[in-house]
Amino acid sequence: MKLALRALLIVAAGTGLGLSWNQLSGRGFALDRNVLVKDGDQIVEAAAARQRLEKGALFLDARPVEFYEMAHIPGALPLPEEEFDGAFARLEPRLRESLEVIVYCAGFGCEASHIVARKLKERGIPAAILHEGWPAWEDAGYPVRAGRAP
Amino acid sequence: MSFLDRRPVQWALGLLLGAVFIYASWDKILNPSEFARIVYHYQLIGPSRSLGPLPANLLAVTLPWIELVVGLLLATGLWRREAAAVAAVMLLVFVAAVGAALARGIDLENCGCFTVTGTGRAAGLRLIAGDLLLLGAAAALAAPRRRPLTSAGPAA
Repeated sequence: MKLALRALLIVAAGTGLGLSWNQLSGRGFALDRNVLVKDGDQIVEAAAARQRLEKGALFLDARPVEFYEMAHIPGALPLPEEEFDGAFARLEPRLRESLEVIVYCAGFGCEASHIVARKLKERGIPAAILHEGWPAWEDAGYPVRAGRAP
Repeated sequence: MSFLDRRPVQWALGLLLGAVFIYASWDKILNPSEFARIVYHYQLIGPSRSLGPLPANLLAVTLPWIELVVGLLLATGLWRREAAAVAAVMLLVFVAAVGAALARGIDLENCGCFTVTGTGRAAGLRLIAGDLLLLGAAAALAAPRRRPLTSAGPAA
């Protein structure tokens, strides 16, 4: 009993210190904020993304190619984050002529779409990020396509 | 009294495990949002549509401080059994989290164990093996100490 109580006190002390540090140290962050989203990131919801798809926006799939081949947004091109340089070189002409680019990856905790969008921005190609990525699209019941072809 | 119950062994294990926990906490305390980023990668407690980012963020800001408190207690010998019990639970949960991530094919380039900025240790079977060793040390410290039986001989 004493052991459990003291163990709880240890956890409570750590929790209190952590919350205080986050609040007071100047190194903390808002707890209701997704830390993957940085200033300047353009986020687009699934419904709006679908409308933009119908208007000709180019979608980029930042997940590994195997996931792309299992299923992807129709018309999307694979641009895996870990193979960015090679894939970008291949897709650059197409990207530069696209009026709108939207990047997605495997979901809320997935960072690949954020990284790819920032790298594109550095190269002068503005790109939005699909909020909650592939799961949001799939859960909304929007069309998907399997295989290597876009 | 077993070997692990000897006082110098308990101190050595406490210092070793305490140093590991203190070291593990440091970079995370200094860079909480970077640690939150790594917590997200595990995809266990969000962010997700149902949970939002709050549970993962809460874990990211509190876990390193629990590690630090546990590390300090283990190293100083104060409430050592209790601190070791908390350490054992944390290690067990961590091993389960890494195992779950590996089972789901999530590629964790940085496990977030010791550093959250720059290149960290990748999550894999070697990491799990190392953590099981630490878990063994924590369990040895948390277990009740067996005292030698007093050999009270027959009354003369």
